[in-house]
Amino acid sequence: MQSTTIRTLVLLLFVAAPFIQTNTYWQHVFGVALIGAILALGLQLLVGMAGLLSLGQGAFYGIGAYVSAVLTAHFGVPFSLAFLAAGVVAAISSLLLVPIVKLPSSSLAVATLGFNIIIYLFMLNEEWATGGSYGMLNVPLPSIFGFELTTERDLYFLILAVTAIVYFSLDRLAHSRFGRALKAISQDEDAARACGISIIRYKSKCFLVAAFTAGIAGSLYAHHARYLNPNDFTFNKSIEILIMVVVGGLGSLPGAVIGAIIIVLMPEFLRSSGEWRLILFGALVVVLMGVSRGGIAGLVPMLLRFLPWFRSTSDPKAVESVEVRR
Amino acid sequence: MSSEQFIQGIIGGLAIGCIYSLIALGITIIIRATEILHFAQGELMMIGAMAGLSAMWMVDLPFIVVLLVGMIGGGVAAVTIELSIYRTLRTLRVPLINIIISTLGVSLILQNAARLIWGSEPLRYPPLFHTRGVDIAGFAISPQLIWIVVLGFVMMAALQLFFRYTRLGIAMQAAAQDAEAAQLMGISVKKTTTYTFVVAGVMAGAAGVLLGSLFFASFNMGFLTGIKAFVAATLGGLGSLTGAMVGGIAFGLIETFSGVLISTAYKDAVGMIVLIVILLLAPSGIFIRAGRRV
Repeated sequence: MQSTTIRTLVLLLFVAAPFIQTNTYWQHVFGVALIGAILALGLQLLVGMAGLLSLGQGAFYGIGAYVSAVLTAHFGVPFSLAFLAAGVVAAISSLLLVPIVKLPSSSLAVATLGFNIIIYLFMLNEEWATGGSYGMLNVPLPSIFGFELTTERDLYFLILAVTAIVYFSLDRLAHSRFGRALKAISQDEDAARACGISIIRYKSKCFLVAAFTAGIAGSLYAHHARYLNPNDFTFNKSIEILIMVVVGGLGSLPGAVIGAIIIVLMPEFLRSSGEWRLILFGALVVVLMGVSRGGIAGLVPMLLRFLPWFRSTSDPKAVESVEVRR
Repeated sequence: MSSEQFIQGIIGGLAIGCIYSLIALGITIIIRATEILHFAQGELMMIGAMAGLSAMWMVDLPFIVVLLVGMIGGGVAAVTIELSIYRTLRTLRVPLINIIISTLGVSLILQNAARLIWGSEPLRYPPLFHTRGVDIAGFAISPQLIWIVVLGFVMMAALQLFFRYTRLGIAMQAAAQDAEAAQLMGISVKKTTTYTFVVAGVMAGAAGVLLGSLFFASFNMGFLTGIKAFVAATLGGLGSLTGAMVGGIAFGLIETFSGVLISTAYKDAVGMIVLIVILLLAPSGIFIRAGRRV
């Protein structure tokens, strides 16, 4: 099957989802899953393509959410502007990380985690801006070009549209000069530098794009959940996004989407197991890490090989996983 | 700040710092031996605290025995995880990042298993010492804190001696520095890696009993403390033993004093800012040996 056919089919499936499942609770959960997908796509650029282990995406997500919520609720800014502002402010705040992008991988992980804790404490304590631990109630519903999006299904389609745009933009980016440079950096930094790639500039750009993506995801979250609490943006969120990316498969954009959907939906399906829910979830994460090198995205071609009618066409040049350099 | 506050800050900061150091030491030796960022280290500490507390519920034990039970609990938990999960993953030759993510899974499993066993309420540690304050230069200091500092330093010294003078300790160091060369010298790297987890678990278990005796024991006491210990280890330089000890103590002091001097709301942020500034000045941390980047 051609990859464009597959993409069209998958997109149709996503469009059909809220018509197949008409329960508004599930439609809301689907929306949450797609917001997770946007976050995972952004982190995929950092971890999967550039090999930068970042645990700070939750901070940019939170910045985007609060910027969008405050602008629309307190200043009456229209949603579309607030949405863009959320991305831009998150991207600008990622410039704070420029000095630390040159750190070795494990220090970078801890430093970005520290950044997330600082931003979280700011959201928790600066009540004049964020409402502090009481959170922010009644974030207005989004409206685009005069259309008020009121039902869960409308919101789902808004999120789906943004997810699709982010997906295809990152896909273009990955196959551009920029994407190839990132791949070179993640495989051998010294060789990449010798080829004239400015490491720090590329890594910073990566953070910028990933932060923008997380920022707009935050804006969608704010208007989708309509209630914000600093506890939604702790480093646990950053870790959850990282789990999505690795479960889905490092370096693979479809993997990021699949990983996000699995990580968001799994607790819903495990709900019946009550107190064992999170233990099972942890065990599944461990097992998934063991069964396949490239996460779910690596698992799919492996399984397809068992099916005879796929054997000839299964695509061997699927994006290979990139190990995070030490 | 009065001089009484200052003395209390020093002792309190040292005590909490020793606890961070003990956890950070475990994180460090695991990184040296396997390059795994072990995010479940805080949970090993929690298991140690719970094991000690459970032993104390059954029989009234002196503190030293409780501490030993905690250490054994942490060590047993660590070796179980290593043998059942991390070793399997290494044998499957999955990328390092997969093992790191699996430690997050392990952390979730341990936390929620502990919630099933010990409940979700914070559990009170019974007073371990006579609670009468000790006088130091005319100021009343809680003996609890002094004991924690003393025991923390004793354990760190013991670890140094272990790595310097025992056969096993030297073998572990050698395997961490160059696994292939160590293998050629007849050291079983598989075995030293397992012992590394045992030692890391024992240190974390001790930290758990000490921390529990200071505050409470609860199923979720581990994660944030583990993260802070990570920051402490990075502060000193990931992969350096001295760095982990000094980093932990420095982080404890920074946290305590910024709580008193700056604001309690932002005391965690101050530590993080210090970390980022130090990483900017010395990208590998303070005490990293030249030439080794972890």
